[in-house]
Amino acid sequence: MRRSLQRLAMVVLLLLAVSMLTFVAMNVLGDPLFNILGPIAGDTENPESIAKIEAAKAQYYLDKPLPERYVRWLGDFVQGDMGVRFASDGQPPVTGLIKERLPRSLVLMGMAQAMALLIAIPWGISSAAGSLGGVDTGPRSWRFLVPFALKATAVTYFAQSLFGSVVGVVMLSWFIALLLAHQFAETVPAARELVDGVNKTMSGFSSALSFGFISMPNFALAVSLYYVFALKQGWFPLRYDASDGFFTRMWQLFLPALTLALPGSAVYQRLLRTDLITTLQEDFILMARAKGVSKRRVLFRHALRPSMFSVITVFGINAGALVGGALVVETFFGIPGIGTAVVEAILREDFPVVLAIVMIVATGFVVLNFLVDLLYSVLDPRVRS
Amino acid sequence: MSQDVSTGGVIEAIEPEGAQAGIVKKTLGPGFWLAVGWIVLIVLLAVLAPVLPLKDPNANFIDIQGKGRPPYGPSGDHWLGSDQDARDMLSRTIYGARVSLVVGFSAVAFGFTIGGTIGLVSGFVRGMFDKITSFIMLVLLSFPALILAILITSLMERSLLTIALTLGILSVAPVGRLARSASLVFSEREFVLAARTMGAKPSHIMLRELLPNVLIPMSALALLGTAVAIVAEGGLAFLGLSVEKGSTWGKLILTGAQTRQLEEAPWIAFVPITALFLTVMALNFAGDRLREYFDVRELAL
Repeated sequence: MRRSLQRLAMVVLLLLAVSMLTFVAMNVLGDPLFNILGPIAGDTENPESIAKIEAAKAQYYLDKPLPERYVRWLGDFVQGDMGVRFASDGQPPVTGLIKERLPRSLVLMGMAQAMALLIAIPWGISSAAGSLGGVDTGPRSWRFLVPFALKATAVTYFAQSLFGSVVGVVMLSWFIALLLAHQFAETVPAARELVDGVNKTMSGFSSALSFGFISMPNFALAVSLYYVFALKQGWFPLRYDASDGFFTRMWQLFLPALTLALPGSAVYQRLLRTDLITTLQEDFILMARAKGVSKRRVLFRHALRPSMFSVITVFGINAGALVGGALVVETFFGIPGIGTAVVEAILREDFPVVLAIVMIVATGFVVLNFLVDLLYSVLDPRVRS
Repeated sequence: MSQDVSTGGVIEAIEPEGAQAGIVKKTLGPGFWLAVGWIVLIVLLAVLAPVLPLKDPNANFIDIQGKGRPPYGPSGDHWLGSDQDARDMLSRTIYGARVSLVVGFSAVAFGFTIGGTIGLVSGFVRGMFDKITSFIMLVLLSFPALILAILITSLMERSLLTIALTLGILSVAPVGRLARSASLVFSEREFVLAARTMGAKPSHIMLRELLPNVLIPMSALALLGTAVAIVAEGGLAFLGLSVEKGSTWGKLILTGAQTRQLEEAPWIAFVPITALFLTVMALNFAGDRLREYFDVRELAL
């Protein structure tokens, strides 16, 4: 408890430092008066401009010293008022803009993280399953057949629509051959060798794939996914439209979220795989296997939970990378979220907006990591002491 | 290996990798050298670009009689096609590598000099200095990196120097954190204690005893960091915030990423994407192999 409080105090101190740094940087490096009024800010001769300058100074407190302005801004900020924008009329106020833009970005990032976990957990488990050893689902059981059929259908459909029907037919015959090889694996040595060889190749392929996802920069991935799935295949809409209905908008967010999710999923998969392999060496797994618990149940129910530590840690850290990714992805797909808002505001030197967004993002990031810290004790009772 | 086959099997079953670790010498593997080869190739191409027999990257090779309106597809004349202004994609990509690589390498060099020094000293000295620098690093780390980068680049003119410097500043905190933790670990070791007892000066211990040891895990981080910096520059360029003059991979991808360009001439985007992807993958892979080779745990995150 005391440790948690200490960390909380640290978080508050950290956020104060972040806000002070951003505030000072923007007021010292930029020229707020110029950003509000434009060229007339430097005009000291025309009485009309002087009056305007005085009015703007009073409205934005620019005549007050920097520390006082900071304290004023901070006081307003913690009460939910993020000030007025540096535009000639200051409309809409920053709080209104954030209220409009933030939910979209949160949905996008939430979708991305959920997708990343949904991809990473089965992927990580299947790539670690080999180290458990032993076979308990016979090739004829539905536990093998149903996932196999699903996989085969999905891959064939993908190959057929991306590379033409010839490749589709080749894929389909390949899967039928593989199924036959599984059927005769116990009696025919050549079939056994084929199945083993395929498994080995697939695990190599899976690690190469995850490495590829990690190395693909998000903007390049965005362009590639957009080209293949939106432009060529037409499976996804080309643009985001804020006036569409709820489900249409969610569908429009699918491809951007996938762009953000794929690199994350590869990172999670690698961590999960390493941790799972370590967990699978432990005695309680051997115990469960000895009792006759099925491989699948051991992996999902016994081994998964204690293997989630690294994934959860990186889940929190990844949220920061996700914000950077959201910036790029929102700009590319034309989603009016806080990512596009901050890019626009920085280009127009609309500092109150930038400051507000930096603060929201930093707060979200440190709070999320604080929560992740608390989550450890939920995952593993041994940490509670 | 005069072992009975069955015993070998049991040992392997108990300790699948540990049993062999003592016998088999760790190697970096052919993949590592392949990755290094690609990096060397790209660096050589970028350095030698002006003397190589390449087409002028900014010249328009419009050929109305022969092929009609640009962009032209890949052909014997333009190996990787041309962009919408009939400029040669191959030479543009190679010239683009110059900026991307310079930014990547110099950002990492800056981050390592500053962050590495701070981390090394604070891990060794500890006390107040360590507390203050650790807090500053924590503050820097709680900014999303790309937002900080566009913040700095938007407030200053966007020259090659400022972009490289910005990304360098961003890499100070992560590098410093690793250098500090490595320095903390090694400061506890016997050889440092021995040096202290023999009356070595702190500066001598840091330079001669700590630095060589800390440099080992850092070498892996340098490769990974270069990849991150190159990607970050690409991201900035993609937002229209990278260097104003000259082409970089990010800028090339941006010009090819417009819907019209993608429909008519996908190679404009995919040539630089492929170059960027392969380079980043090579850097990541080489860094990852080095990390495994030296068995550095804390880099895994």
